[in-house]
Amino acid sequence: MDILVVLEDNNGTIHRMGIESVAAAQHISNTLGLSTGALVMGKNTNSLLSEASEYDLDEVLFINNELLNEYSSDGYAEAVKQVIDQENPTYVLFGHSYQVRDYVPRVSAKLMRPFLADSISIHVDEKEVSLTKQMFNAKLFTDISPHGDTPFLISFQSASFLSDDAVQGNAKTREVSISLDSSMIKSESEEPFKESSGGVDLSAAELIVSVGRGIGKEENIPMVQDLAEALGAEISSSRPVVDSGWLPPSHQVGSSGQAVSPKMYLALGISGAIQHVVGMKASKNIVVINKDPEAPIFEIADYGVVGDLLEIIPKLTEAIQSK
Amino acid sequence: MHDIYFSFAEKIVLGLGIITCLASFIYEVSRRLLIVFKGLGTLPFDRFGARFWRMFREVFLHEKVVKGRFWPGLMHAFVFWGFVIFGLVTIDHFAKGFGFSLLSPNAHKVYTMIVTPFSILVIVGILSLAYRRFITKPKALGKLSPTSGLVAFFIVVLMVTYLIGEREISAFFWKINWWIHSAIILAFLFLIPRSKHLHLVLAPINIFFRPFDQPDHTPVNIDLEGSEEELDDMLAGLTKMTQNQALDIFSCVECGRCVDVCPANRGGGILDPKHHFILDLREPLLDTKDVDVLSQINVEAGWECTTCQACTEVCPVGNHVEKSDEIRRLEVLVEGKVPQEYQKLFTNLQETGNTEGATNSPLAERLPKFTQDKEYVLWLGCFARYELDPEFTKSVENFTKILDVANVTYGILEQEHCSGDPVNRLGDKLTYSMLREHNMEQLSEAKKVVTLCPHCALNLEKEYSKYDTITYTVEHHTQVIEQLITDERIKVNKTANGKITYHDPCNLSRMLDEVDAPRTAINAASDNFIELPESGKNTLCCGAGGGLWWKKETTGRTHLVRAEQVVESEADTVITGCNFCYGMMNQGLKPLTPEGRNEIKVKDLADLVAENISQ
Amino acid sequence: MKIAVLVKQVPSPESPLPLVSNEDWLDESQVAYIMNESDNYALEEALQIREKNNDGEVVVVSLGPDRTQKVIREALSKGADRGIHIQSKDKYPTDPLLAGSLFAETLKEENFDIIFSGLQSDDLGYGQTGIILGELLGMSTATLAMSTEIINNKIKVKRELEAGYFQWVTMSLPASISVQSGCNTPRYPSLKGIMGAKKKEIHVVTPSVKDQNQSIKKIYAPSSAKETVMIEGSVDQVVEKLVTVFRNEIKIA
Repeated sequence: MDILVVLEDNNGTIHRMGIESVAAAQHISNTLGLSTGALVMGKNTNSLLSEASEYDLDEVLFINNELLNEYSSDGYAEAVKQVIDQENPTYVLFGHSYQVRDYVPRVSAKLMRPFLADSISIHVDEKEVSLTKQMFNAKLFTDISPHGDTPFLISFQSASFLSDDAVQGNAKTREVSISLDSSMIKSESEEPFKESSGGVDLSAAELIVSVGRGIGKEENIPMVQDLAEALGAEISSSRPVVDSGWLPPSHQVGSSGQAVSPKMYLALGISGAIQHVVGMKASKNIVVINKDPEAPIFEIADYGVVGDLLEIIPKLTEAIQSK
Repeated sequence: MHDIYFSFAEKIVLGLGIITCLASFIYEVSRRLLIVFKGLGTLPFDRFGARFWRMFREVFLHEKVVKGRFWPGLMHAFVFWGFVIFGLVTIDHFAKGFGFSLLSPNAHKVYTMIVTPFSILVIVGILSLAYRRFITKPKALGKLSPTSGLVAFFIVVLMVTYLIGEREISAFFWKINWWIHSAIILAFLFLIPRSKHLHLVLAPINIFFRPFDQPDHTPVNIDLEGSEEELDDMLAGLTKMTQNQALDIFSCVECGRCVDVCPANRGGGILDPKHHFILDLREPLLDTKDVDVLSQINVEAGWECTTCQACTEVCPVGNHVEKSDEIRRLEVLVEGKVPQEYQKLFTNLQETGNTEGATNSPLAERLPKFTQDKEYVLWLGCFARYELDPEFTKSVENFTKILDVANVTYGILEQEHCSGDPVNRLGDKLTYSMLREHNMEQLSEAKKVVTLCPHCALNLEKEYSKYDTITYTVEHHTQVIEQLITDERIKVNKTANGKITYHDPCNLSRMLDEVDAPRTAINAASDNFIELPESGKNTLCCGAGGGLWWKKETTGRTHLVRAEQVVESEADTVITGCNFCYGMMNQGLKPLTPEGRNEIKVKDLADLVAENISQ
Repeated sequence: MKIAVLVKQVPSPESPLPLVSNEDWLDESQVAYIMNESDNYALEEALQIREKNNDGEVVVVSLGPDRTQKVIREALSKGADRGIHIQSKDKYPTDPLLAGSLFAETLKEENFDIIFSGLQSDDLGYGQTGIILGELLGMSTATLAMSTEIINNKIKVKRELEAGYFQWVTMSLPASISVQSGCNTPRYPSLKGIMGAKKKEIHVVTPSVKDQNQSIKKIYAPSSAKETVMIEGSVDQVVEKLVTVFRNEIKIA
């Protein structure tokens, strides 16, 4: 196949960024008439396989190998490398997840092929492919073209493509085998754990009120909670608020917190650092209130207010409650 | 009472008692003084007259003791004056034990008439103080002190036994009374040097030797081309106290005034200047019999200090209390342990010569550049240059407007780097020396410098002079404005609205000794000026000093305590003389202003004057 | 224990980023450079392991033009023992695959037990070089490390996962680990460190000339394609307009 999408397991379902990569693959395929395929592996292969085969792809490959039941960078890198050797795709697509950041550079080194990671868009025509990547903490964009022979490894930033855009269909499935020796796996992982108790699944939330450092101090958090309650929304925050201990880590939205895509994301006193934005830019409506008119978050806002949070929030809460 | 007979045995006992207790007293005082003399540097005898006069005012007139806490201060004054008056009485008392009198019977009668009322005052004084210490128990005095109780008891008994001793009673009881009095005095000799009551001896001396400038810290000369031995020697010296500092430790009377005025302490921080900067170091001095103890200062407390010198200003026994400079320079230069937010600050200063890591300043571009024909170098400072509070930029422009009206010529230095105040106060003396050397070169052609930032003024003038001879004079803009008003080069009209108050910046009022200039200007513009509590040289720091403006994680409320006082004053406008104070007031007042009250306007003095000036 | 730390010199977050006229890279003459932020943490991690084990060597390695020596010297002043500067003549920062290869070529013979790198650079931001180097040298690898521990000749790494999860992974040495900012408290160089750094060795290496694996066609400032509707007015007016937007446009509340 021409375009191989490597899908990731999220406790039995396909990681959202994998679906986004399927949408990406379909977009490229439509432009150039290329064939598409996906790869699943790991202990939940069966459920991933049935989910993946419901997308409009030419085939879905699967590996059944018990050495891949638990994730390890040694195992996964070697497995993907071997599949690429076997299938010879032109483009290999990934979602830019934490797991991909951990092992795909190894695939790049094994194949000596470049890994154009964290791209936000792709431009392909018959002559060349170029990826757009943010640099300097998203202050600048670059258009980058890989050199040399294919395959090219590419990962897309969260919400560069929308999982909603992935077209359904019916894909054939095919098993592929790889040779792995247990001596190649040089690590042992323990169970994942959360540092704080009590989680909130923000990824499912319809409405989110999110608070950043601009709120000033911990004493002002209750007014945000009141507003969220009035709206019937969940509360989330940027990392500095969690680091300061004003809210528990389970509320954090961003690259090291949860990714959310609610109908409305109300960002209060959040500047818009890239690490936060990647976690929420898939939101359908982004409303921003910040006293700094230069805050980067206004770039992605649908509605913006430059103003004083401490004045606006209580009045907004009151207005919503009264009506 | 007529002469009572003391037997030979009694005289021996008395003699031995006096010798033993005197010897113990001398021993304890000497061993402390020996430690003091191990300190670096020497005790200063310069400006002898000024020192003596200051000592007279602060010791005999009890100026600082009474000013800080009026009633306790007055009560203490009673005890002190009584103590002084009693000098002759005490000598005469012991003389009697050896069979002779210093005073003739007539002289004795006169003397008794003078001394007796004092002894009543002493009793009133010491009992009031004891009441305050043991019944009211103010926090500043700390844990209950048994020695204080003992001393109070002793003093009362001394006065009572004195009064009894002047009465006609049987020889038997008179003798007993006499021996009690003597025993207590000898016990005093034993107790004084071993307790905070050593201040009786050391305070006048310590006050005499107190530095005139504050803050007063030893300059740290770093020679980057020097040998490793030279570097090691210099670093080893950083942990040693000076003679003056060691003398401070033994003079401390544990009154806690320094704690009361400390903004970090008032804001809920852990810093307790009395313990962290003074008393914690007493045992190490005595145990090691040496002055190599500065590394024992509590590091966390050291980082909380705003370096405002309120503690130094208020100390009644002449201590330079603040020692954040000493511990921070150890942490930075020796240990390399710098809080993260300050590492960025230091790097910015090293890389770009300013606190923000910025590469250009729109304000600097707009202002005229200094050339030799201009009268003043207008020194901007990083706060104004890089708009740490964008509203302050107007204040700078208002000041230039005032200069323009008065036809005073000025220009800025394009290559102005940070004066270095943040790194100087935060202990990074290496970056400080880099900035200082650069600025000295930039200022080589300057004769007069004026700045709106008292931190810059203090460094350019007083701190730089500790390292090099400076060839320029430095004025704070409030001083220039005052001069222009008194010289009638500008006319300020009394057209300012509303109630106006003034927050004295600590760097200006205490460290640059300027309290009047801003008030002259404010009173020229308004008849409605009210003072804040703790104003003038007793001003309460806004919380931004000592590099704390750049401290991101602000636990505690150091930065809000003064803002609260401004809100309580119910003024309509608060005038400041320092860009940091300006910024702090701007940030602090709004959240603290209660519902319904109008926002208090924050203005620099330049704003007030420019708004009310005749063109 | 021999530990290498990869450091990179990148534009400071406060630096202006002017472009050259044909827009394929920055006008470097206007740029202020510092050590990449997460590399500070990588260096600190290495120094702490060396201190805990009371022995070993920390070698700091950097790929870049001559100005790179400044950050190597900085690392030496914080306590690294020696430095290696791999000279780069590239117009813009080397892509991670080539960078990893150049590091591998230079460091192969040193046989490091651990190589630390920062999570990603503040310029290109790929976050791959340390892992690629690890693979090329046959080491175990991990990225997004929040904490490391040496136990029984293995390294235990606390990996950061998504959604607030963490995971401890024990891997055999040698290992190449990329660490996340915040995993420790980086030290500041002491005065002795700064003076002593002048005498420490920086070995300059001219690597074999190789082509980059990708090229930057264009560099530009992002345009906001999104039309942000700004809501203005007094506090009361803004509140009223917001409620209208919530109700009528976004269709909630």
